[in-house]
Amino acid sequence: MRRLLVTCLSLLMLIANVSYAQAKSLNIPVVYYKLPNGLKVVISEEHMAPVVTVAVYYNVGFRLEPKGRTGFAHLFEHMMFQGSANVKKFEHAKFIEANGGSLNGHTDFDYTNYYQTMPSNRVELGLWLESDRMRSLDVSEENLKNQQAVVSEEVRVNVLNQPYQFFEWISLWENAFTNWNNSHNGYGELAEINAATIADVRSFFKTYYAPNNAVLTVVGDVDANEVKKMVEKHFASIPAQTMPARIDLTEPAQTKEKRVSQTDKLAKLPALAAGYHLPPQDSPDFPAMALLVQILQGDDSSRWYQRLVKEKELTLDLSGGLNYFGNEFDYTGPMIMTTRTTYKLGHTADEVLREMDAVVAEITAKGITEKELADAKVRYRSNFYSQLESSFGKAHLLAALALFRDNPQQINSLLTPFENVTAAQVKAAAAKYLVATNRTVIDRVPETKPQAKSEQ
Amino acid sequence: MKTLIVILLLTVSAIAQQKTPPPPGAARPLNLPKITEKKLSNGLMVVLAPLANVPKVSAILTFKSATTASDRTAHPGIAQIAASVANEGTDTRTSKQIKEELRSIGGTLSLGSDADSTTMSASSLSESSVRLFELMSDVAQHPSFPETEVKLAQENTIQQIRAGRADPAFLANERFQKAVFGNHPYGFVVPDEKSISALTRADLRAFVSKYYIPNAAHLIVVGDIEVDKTFAEIEKAFGSWKSGTVPPDENPPVPAREKRQIYFVNRPGSIQSAIYIGNASIARKDKDYFAIRTADTIFGGSFYSRLTRNIREAKGYTYSPFSSSNTRAKTGSFMAGAFVRNEVTGPTLLEMFYELDRMRVLPVTDEELSAAKEYSTGNFSVELASQFGLAGRINTIYTFDLDKSFINDFRPKIEALTAADIQKAAAKYFDTYRAAIVIVGDWEKVKDQVTPFGEVTMFDADGNVVAN
Repeated sequence: MRRLLVTCLSLLMLIANVSYAQAKSLNIPVVYYKLPNGLKVVISEEHMAPVVTVAVYYNVGFRLEPKGRTGFAHLFEHMMFQGSANVKKFEHAKFIEANGGSLNGHTDFDYTNYYQTMPSNRVELGLWLESDRMRSLDVSEENLKNQQAVVSEEVRVNVLNQPYQFFEWISLWENAFTNWNNSHNGYGELAEINAATIADVRSFFKTYYAPNNAVLTVVGDVDANEVKKMVEKHFASIPAQTMPARIDLTEPAQTKEKRVSQTDKLAKLPALAAGYHLPPQDSPDFPAMALLVQILQGDDSSRWYQRLVKEKELTLDLSGGLNYFGNEFDYTGPMIMTTRTTYKLGHTADEVLREMDAVVAEITAKGITEKELADAKVRYRSNFYSQLESSFGKAHLLAALALFRDNPQQINSLLTPFENVTAAQVKAAAAKYLVATNRTVIDRVPETKPQAKSEQ
Repeated sequence: MKTLIVILLLTVSAIAQQKTPPPPGAARPLNLPKITEKKLSNGLMVVLAPLANVPKVSAILTFKSATTASDRTAHPGIAQIAASVANEGTDTRTSKQIKEELRSIGGTLSLGSDADSTTMSASSLSESSVRLFELMSDVAQHPSFPETEVKLAQENTIQQIRAGRADPAFLANERFQKAVFGNHPYGFVVPDEKSISALTRADLRAFVSKYYIPNAAHLIVVGDIEVDKTFAEIEKAFGSWKSGTVPPDENPPVPAREKRQIYFVNRPGSIQSAIYIGNASIARKDKDYFAIRTADTIFGGSFYSRLTRNIREAKGYTYSPFSSSNTRAKTGSFMAGAFVRNEVTGPTLLEMFYELDRMRVLPVTDEELSAAKEYSTGNFSVELASQFGLAGRINTIYTFDLDKSFINDFRPKIEALTAADIQKAAAKYFDTYRAAIVIVGDWEKVKDQVTPFGEVTMFDADGNVVAN
């Protein structure tokens, strides 16, 4: 969860949900083509409000950052706001806000995005700004030092000075994965963030920030033909680059359970995080797994929530999902389903796990009811619609589908595989993937102080 | 010939990188929402606004009398606990049944309570709006507060508050509200453990029957709706809800702050200082609302703000400095904040006071003012394009009794502001003389940087005053 500035997480949160016939009525207009330099372009008209989102997604996230440079993909994202040939340091923000818009950037496992939402008659300004930095990012020692300091403070405020220190992401990934590209700390170690050089920045820019490694998405109250002309004008002459060979992201199959114990200097209550490796997105098991996640931990009616928080009164909360930062569609490498729960003093991680396993055992023995499946699909569909509500939400999904599947038109039929899932498939998915040998568990407990406890 | 020139120009521009920002195109229609209101015979004000961006419906039901101040002498914190347990069971539905029904309509339903009201926010697929309204009505009228749910909520709330005391942002906010509003209900953040434990099911039931009443409530519904049909659905679901006696406003006047003061929450081992500086400001209906809002945008409320440019982009002290103007029924607060490494605690205070005073002493530039106006009006359109964005905006009109034309007037009122208006508002409300300075950090590490800025009162993480 690393972005240029703090925003609400919910926009990107979609622990998705799908269903029946109604989903088929989706008819989002999608214009999709590629410029000769390889830039993928997606335009979707939407005229309900006089706003537009212009977004550029690059096909590089923190999995691909160089060894010895943890946190670099995110530091680089910050550098994209430090000026280009015709836009001075931080002026991107000035232009967008002075034209009635808002903006942000975000670095994720497999992509880095830059986006602005603004009055739709300013669409060309957004395109010009994005093209200027894609073509001619301008970096200096001084600006790099400045952003290294800023990002260091970001890591302090969100990780190092916080209880639990984001363990359900950073520690869980470090332990669940064996391939360095997947397992390393994507927020970054302070020393490595601060070791980055201008040469690193230039090389990363040349390697990955090329038009043939990106998607430009425009969604909103615009004329697609007009936008096409503007895109041609600002992006067509940016040269393509030779892409490096893709780095191997494959993971060996896990064969036995991993258990980790940690202590926390700041936390007052113990917490547990668990991660189960998921089947790849093109696996026939994937849609069933997505609905199983919904049924286990998708909302307050879910089986794990009801068991842990309500029936056994063991834990205070339950969070997580299929993709810790995003949804089913906006990643491409190996993924784990994450579960995080804060449990009460006087209890143990084993008790929590025992209850989680008992719930899974019920599903693998008896399956789920047809009603439960139908309701999970309704929830899935409703959450899906919520993501489509804003121009940014729609742009995000279109960009991910173009970036990873070369098929943004799929947005209109995205729910179908999830609608077709059967109760038997959900039961089979539970038996296959929700087994101890496929998971990593971290138990994080408050550090015991030598002095007497403050609580009676 | 003409054609040729055009083609040539296009070709040239495709090769050369454009050096200046393209001008805006013609302004697009604003599509302001069509809002319809109608009062039911029991006094419930119903406000509808169609917005069919997705096949969903979003609703806010606000109980105007159920505030932090309500029943606070006998039962401090009762409004908050009532809100958190109200959807955990009704006379005819268990907690689990409510959650399962919500899942089956793709719905959400939660309640929250603050200084000016209690609100129930709910949503579902629009095809299931009848069932959503029935559920909302049931939770509003017949929450049963089952013993087991009350007990669990008491225990979990106490634990969650304890856990929250490890988070610097929680501690800073709690101390700031208390510093600015003292013992006034506006200074309330979370109830103490004794008050939580003392609440009974009977207290909660009595509270709800007194304060959750239709004649002191309004229901805002935005989404994929047809106005007449939706009115009929709402009338059917809420029509039999019985009116009550509207309780008097229980909020006392807000105390005034006399001098600048540092409130230091000691958090040994902290590697950053959380700094919040601010003071009481204005009520939501005050005529200075637009001026303060715009001053805030220029000072620290937008990304390209003065505060961000200074302590982030120029000095690298912090990641995400911020300011906010929070207006309520009786008064509000203005606050600026930053989380910074220990070593730059003093320098950050210096810059924050410099930027606050600069707003008070010098007029903002024409460029800054024009940018802030565009920022406010442009982002207002984005807000109105989302169901909960629009519903929330309408909700403030009815909660604070604003002019019904607020949404249509927003743009002209922002556009009419002058640099003198901004300076006047800043001079009055960015009151650095009487500022509350809240710092959460490691006292031993930063005390020498902090003490030049004022007298220090020291607190521990539990909110007790301790010696420094």
